[in-house]
Amino acid sequence: MKERAMNSRFQQLLTKYGTILALVIVTLMFSLFVPGFVNSRNLLNILRQVALLAVIAEGFTMCLIVDELDLSFANVASLASVIAGALILGGMHPFLAIVIVLAVGAGIGLLNGLLVTKVGIPSLITTLAMGIISVGFIYMFTDGLSLYGAMPAGFLFLGRGSIAGIPFLVIIMFAVVLLAHVLVNKFKVGKYMQATGANVRAARLAGINTDFYKILGLVLSSAGAALTGILLTSRLGTANPEGATGFMMDSFASALMGMTVLSIGRAKPLGTLVGVLMIGVISNGMTLAGAPYYMQDITKGVIILLSVTITSLQSKRQADA
Amino acid sequence: MTKILETRKLTKVFPGVKAVDELDFDLEPGEIHAIVGENGAGKSTLIKMLAGVYRPTSGTIIVQGEERTFHNPREAMEYIGVVYQENELIPYFSGYENLFLGIEETASGLLKNETMRERAYALAEEFNFELDLDSEVRELGAGQQTLIAILKVLYERLPILIFDEPTAALSYKESETLFELLRDLRSKGFAIIYISHHLTEVLDLADRVTVLRDGKKVVTVQNEGLTERQLIQYMIARDIDVQYPKLEANIGETVLQVRDFSDKRYGFEDINFHIRSGEIVGFAGLTGSGRTELAKSIYRQFRKRPGNIQLTTHAADRKRRMVLIPENRREEGVILDLSVRENLILASLDQLSHLGYLIERGIVKYIGSIIEQLAIKVTSPAQSVRTLSGGNQQKVSIGKWMGESCDVWIFDEPTQGIDVDTKTEIYTIMSQLAQQGSAIWFISSDLRELTSICDRIYVMYDFAIAAEFTAPYEREDILTKMMGGD
Repeated sequence: MKERAMNSRFQQLLTKYGTILALVIVTLMFSLFVPGFVNSRNLLNILRQVALLAVIAEGFTMCLIVDELDLSFANVASLASVIAGALILGGMHPFLAIVIVLAVGAGIGLLNGLLVTKVGIPSLITTLAMGIISVGFIYMFTDGLSLYGAMPAGFLFLGRGSIAGIPFLVIIMFAVVLLAHVLVNKFKVGKYMQATGANVRAARLAGINTDFYKILGLVLSSAGAALTGILLTSRLGTANPEGATGFMMDSFASALMGMTVLSIGRAKPLGTLVGVLMIGVISNGMTLAGAPYYMQDITKGVIILLSVTITSLQSKRQADA
Repeated sequence: MTKILETRKLTKVFPGVKAVDELDFDLEPGEIHAIVGENGAGKSTLIKMLAGVYRPTSGTIIVQGEERTFHNPREAMEYIGVVYQENELIPYFSGYENLFLGIEETASGLLKNETMRERAYALAEEFNFELDLDSEVRELGAGQQTLIAILKVLYERLPILIFDEPTAALSYKESETLFELLRDLRSKGFAIIYISHHLTEVLDLADRVTVLRDGKKVVTVQNEGLTERQLIQYMIARDIDVQYPKLEANIGETVLQVRDFSDKRYGFEDINFHIRSGEIVGFAGLTGSGRTELAKSIYRQFRKRPGNIQLTTHAADRKRRMVLIPENRREEGVILDLSVRENLILASLDQLSHLGYLIERGIVKYIGSIIEQLAIKVTSPAQSVRTLSGGNQQKVSIGKWMGESCDVWIFDEPTQGIDVDTKTEIYTIMSQLAQQGSAIWFISSDLRELTSICDRIYVMYDFAIAAEFTAPYEREDILTKMMGGD
């Protein structure tokens, strides 16, 4: 009896900290066996590589928290990247351009949210359609070509500069993660988003305007995507029509992995950060180890399945108990 | 004394049903006013109108002398606090976070978690609740969750409090704490509406009792010298409108024999009963007494062929041995967006196809015979089931099993939410099936129909069979057993 209790205690710890433990183990393995992996330059490099992923995945996490899905964010990021590039190359002041692009992003999220809550279309379908529409607009603006040209140094600093040796992108990444974490856990707004996502009926009975928080989750998802698009343009110095497409799968992988951190089955900003770091470490480590690029995709896919398996088994056990 | 809450001719109509019918009700400060009635009498609907969840179809709600229209729960929450039957908590939030949901303390936008936590504990202490307010509520037992839901309502010190079946998940000790609390609140001048199936609790606590039946008020009485028996008599309706055809069937050998059946998942232990060929056997009990769970459990376990469920087939051509017509017909009984035709053939595709290929001519004939036999009202078999009335949906749910003769038919609340005429038809169908030699297992919350058409009735209470009755029945006795009395 006592042994069983201990066993389940151990199990609890494992389910709680398993994902973090896995991140530590993977990092240790690469450090031991892959030369050039563990040094401050490469570790900083990993952070810089995942900074954009972190920003977009944190946005996506916001819509998962209100229990909605967003399939449009990667395309919205590409669209934002292209619009930012076009406006800035057209001579607009970068600050104004950034404000406009963020507004466009938030507007798309608002439209998603209204269609989901007021019209009642499932978010999966709404955002899939919105993603396709975004692609259409991208090609309308660009004819499928990348936008080149000289951009102001101030704008390029966002994606390329560094302060005291730390890339500015990394600073933005931590700021976004911190902001998301504080918003979700320390502010009323975040609590209402969580309540809406966890039990919409109870939230409504507590007098919470659940539609508003569903919309907010989708707006933050699109706004995060727009910010990512801007940073992408700044980092590359060009705007590519399909620049952000790759973020789709990695964001899903990160957020799903994040749902297995600490409390199973809940999307959370710090969990998503753990997922993002896992993706970064694996990509970087495998590249350094000379593994073929397709191995990375296979590994990421397996990671998604593993983390969802953990979540599903856990919720099944809860349902049976 | 002045009334703090009044309803005048309050009415709520759902498609096909008058859930609450011109109800006049009133509540005074410093009283506990109990509402009792059978399932479907309209208690929950009344509560939801008072709480701003449903908009009344007509009639008025008067709070503190002023007429009020609540557009949403938030508006009602300024006066009325409700502890719902299924406690409405956020599973991932801690006790104190749930307590303050919707009314968080903040300082310039930031949540004051420590303050809220301290206040929550202080409140729990004030009302003598022993509670863990730090763990996520999903890790707590049902009793603790209920107490948190109650505490949540107490926090705002609203003048009107509604408790909907609060003791359902509480232990004896927790219930006692709650009763003391209710008396204490009454002495402090709160006005309390208390809903419970436990008449002993009601008689113990209430100052006045209102009895509802079929959405109408039967009576409001002072609780002076009131007895359980009197209340039960108020709750039982006189026979009106509905007819209960009962065809004579030969009662034969035992078809279904359940011996010492246990299922840990639901907490069934050593259940014993039997149903004979040609017999209609009723299962009476309150919501939560385990009737549906027993049916589902046996239906599920039967497929694993355990020794303690014996099914004896008498006719040679029986292929399907046990079928279940579920209570929740829109979700479990039919596939709403498929056509009548597609629903009806679903369970008999083997006999309607050859090597997996559907034989059109056979299907047309088959569908025609079932639609005729059950008198399903459709414009064409291609009509989608969603567009049918509740009664016709139920007939489709039954009809999909009509292709093969079955040994045991389990009907779970087959007449709930169905118009009077179709009810009669469904009783006829059940009787006909019994005539053909099937054993009928009939779960219902409507004592009238049970006592009218059943050959025997088992009463379930707290996931066990509490009693067995044979006709002629005394409804009061059955109801007493349903309430857990002797």
